[in-house]
Amino acid sequence: MVDRPLLQVKDVAKSFFENAKEFKVLDLVRFDLTERDFVCVVGPSGSGKSTLLRIIVGLEKPTSGEVFFEGEPIRADNPQVAMVFQSFALFPWLTVEKNVELGLEAKGTLPEERRKIARKFIDAVGLTGFEDAFPRELSGGMKQRVGIARALAIEPLLLCMDEPFSSLDPLTAQNLRDEILQLWTNPDLPPKAVLMVTHAIEEAVYMADRVIVLSSRPGRMIAELEIDLPRPRNRKEPEFYGWVDEIYSLIV
Amino acid sequence: MRTIVRGLRRWLRLVAVVLILAGIVAAVAFPEAAWNAIQLPLFAFFSTTRMVVAYLFALVFAIAYGHTAATNKRASAALLPLLDVLQSIPILGFFPAALIFFVATFRGHPIGIEFAVVFLIFTSMAWNMAFGVYESLTTIPADLEAAAASFGLRGWLRFRYLAFPAAIPKLVYNSILSWTNGWFFLVASEIFSAGGTEFQRPGLGAFIAVAGRNGDIPSIAIGIAVLAAVVLTLDIFVWRPLGAWSERFRMETAPGREIPRVPSPYERFRWLPRLPKVRKRIIASVQPALERYHRLSLRFERAYTQHPKAVREIRRVDLALFVVVFVVVVATGLVGLVQMFLRPLPPNASLLPSAAVLSFSRLLVAYAIALVWTIPVAAMLGESQRAARYLTPALELFASLPATALLPVIVGFALLLAPSVGAAAQLAAILIALFSMQWYLLFNLIAGVRSIPDDLKEAARSFGLRGRAYWKRLLLPAIAPSLLTGSITAWGAGWNALIVSEYIQYAHQFYEVPGLGSLLNHAVYPTPDNEMLLLTILTMIVVVLAMNKLLWRPLFRRASSRFRLEV
Repeated sequence: MVDRPLLQVKDVAKSFFENAKEFKVLDLVRFDLTERDFVCVVGPSGSGKSTLLRIIVGLEKPTSGEVFFEGEPIRADNPQVAMVFQSFALFPWLTVEKNVELGLEAKGTLPEERRKIARKFIDAVGLTGFEDAFPRELSGGMKQRVGIARALAIEPLLLCMDEPFSSLDPLTAQNLRDEILQLWTNPDLPPKAVLMVTHAIEEAVYMADRVIVLSSRPGRMIAELEIDLPRPRNRKEPEFYGWVDEIYSLIV
Repeated sequence: MRTIVRGLRRWLRLVAVVLILAGIVAAVAFPEAAWNAIQLPLFAFFSTTRMVVAYLFALVFAIAYGHTAATNKRASAALLPLLDVLQSIPILGFFPAALIFFVATFRGHPIGIEFAVVFLIFTSMAWNMAFGVYESLTTIPADLEAAAASFGLRGWLRFRYLAFPAAIPKLVYNSILSWTNGWFFLVASEIFSAGGTEFQRPGLGAFIAVAGRNGDIPSIAIGIAVLAAVVLTLDIFVWRPLGAWSERFRMETAPGREIPRVPSPYERFRWLPRLPKVRKRIIASVQPALERYHRLSLRFERAYTQHPKAVREIRRVDLALFVVVFVVVVATGLVGLVQMFLRPLPPNASLLPSAAVLSFSRLLVAYAIALVWTIPVAAMLGESQRAARYLTPALELFASLPATALLPVIVGFALLLAPSVGAAAQLAAILIALFSMQWYLLFNLIAGVRSIPDDLKEAARSFGLRGRAYWKRLLLPAIAPSLLTGSITAWGAGWNALIVSEYIQYAHQFYEVPGLGSLLNHAVYPTPDNEMLLLTILTMIVVVLAMNKLLWRPLFRRASSRFRLEV
């Protein structure tokens, strides 16, 4: 049980076809994720990172290869997997609380229970008092907090994040990164593993235990690196820069 | 500029007020007419009820049709082209057939006429609303779609939290257009000839039409005044607040491109936002049942995925049924057509080509006049927030007075201007077409001018583009797509207008011009000629579809690829 990986990505490849011409986006990506893994996929634009994530959560089908979650083929509506989006993807007509309750309602959780769980996670991301606000009344950072609370509320085993900080200003982004790492250290809170896609190498080195580097067009795995820096990490340390430089040289 | 706007605004408000005042004056000055009009509130109630019933049907239809077309790939292959055709055919042409069908169904009971009228109004409202739903559902941001899927929103929940709210802004906007459009057909249909008989139901439209036939000017004035009052009341108390409310469901635009909302004086009527409380109470009462249903369906779905074979069987049966129904409908239609053409054509059929050309030229003249005045006015209204804020509501109001109701006024006006009866009939036909067409052009053009990003305008100004160069390099190219959208809708309205504009009874006299519309009228009254009726409708449809496919569609495609403003 302990040995079986949570997520298995097996030789996933993806092509798009246009006018009978094949455009290969991803080629033979394979890796595993086990419990307590924090993995970042980095790559230049055009490396198919986001496509990979969409395949992993089951929103898209790979052209070849397979994705298994807890040994079963992945399904898009798997309540054990939650997603955080670059554009937040909040429902503009629902309040913060309703947005957070969304996945729970779909699961069939009873209303009272839903409210309790939603409040707990709204509290966890520091948005107490904003339960009845609408997304348009919130700043970018607050919106992404709602996105994170919404993902955590369904208590997923795996949390997938698609460039969650790239629509935020640098200061807000850094604060949110630290808060996510803070939440991650709390073993009582879900998820069991995190998979994040980003193009910011520093961000990957700052947050992940493991970094998977993709090449551009088509995205192939160039390297899989264990970042063994102690936490909390310091961006000013030479070891930190060592990792960043290494990944840079791999991509360029 | 500001004073011009204020002046115009006052002028337009004045028009509405004058219309209503004229009615009151007429009522006081001609007590006889007022006595006639004593039933008008009741008539207005009947007419509005017909509109509401038709609208509710159209609403349900639009949501079901648009949702299916947007979510079911196989169905959309049939639904979209069908909607395209439905939207472009002149539905008034089918009204005689519908009228006879419904009256026969109810064995001559007047309720049959009511059904026919409601059905006609329904067809005038539904297509455009269905397109609105379809468009909104296909333009939901991909991430939101993905979020809904990954959080497990399916079926009812997906509809309630994603599809329906996403469709609201466009649905409300198109509802307002449809409602306005509906008045045109309501007024035209409350009194109508078909199969050699004249059918009439009490209502505002019938009242105005009868007054027109009798040349009873005070009654015409009173009738139009009441209609204006009804339109105005509904606009202020229903549509404006609904429009303001629907803004809440707009997707957020990217930062920096936010279009400042024009604060509307009508937002003062804030009773609608209180509706959510009522809604909440309703939802609270049905919520437990829905939740239970949802949990049950979750269990069903689990069972579903365990029996993929059975599911596939059901799908196959479903497809087979669809194909059978489709083939039967198409085959029946084809057989009917072939039968008709096998028999010798009626003698009047030789008139059809020239009638089509004449009708077309009249529409062309009306279209040209509409273009000449709407483009500059739209440029002015679109460029100035202030002008738009004051003038648009007034213009919209004026536009929502249907051309069919203004028909007696237009004929009277044409008689004053024209030297002969023949010329008056020609002028009236063109004016009615103009009044049916111009507003679509105007409002589409305003929207087009307003969608030009401010950066682009500022860039143009800072590089010194002024006058002609500004028009040629920025304004005209930027409004090209909306000009075409407006033109397509305007022509659609024009073809419908033909049917009422080429054969008019005013003050006990007939004013007739040769064309498809008058041929149609002769085919239904006084002696019915079903073959001629069908041939005329077919000619009209062929011309309309040919114009759409050969002219508008290619133009639109070119304009939208070349002149699109990238977001």
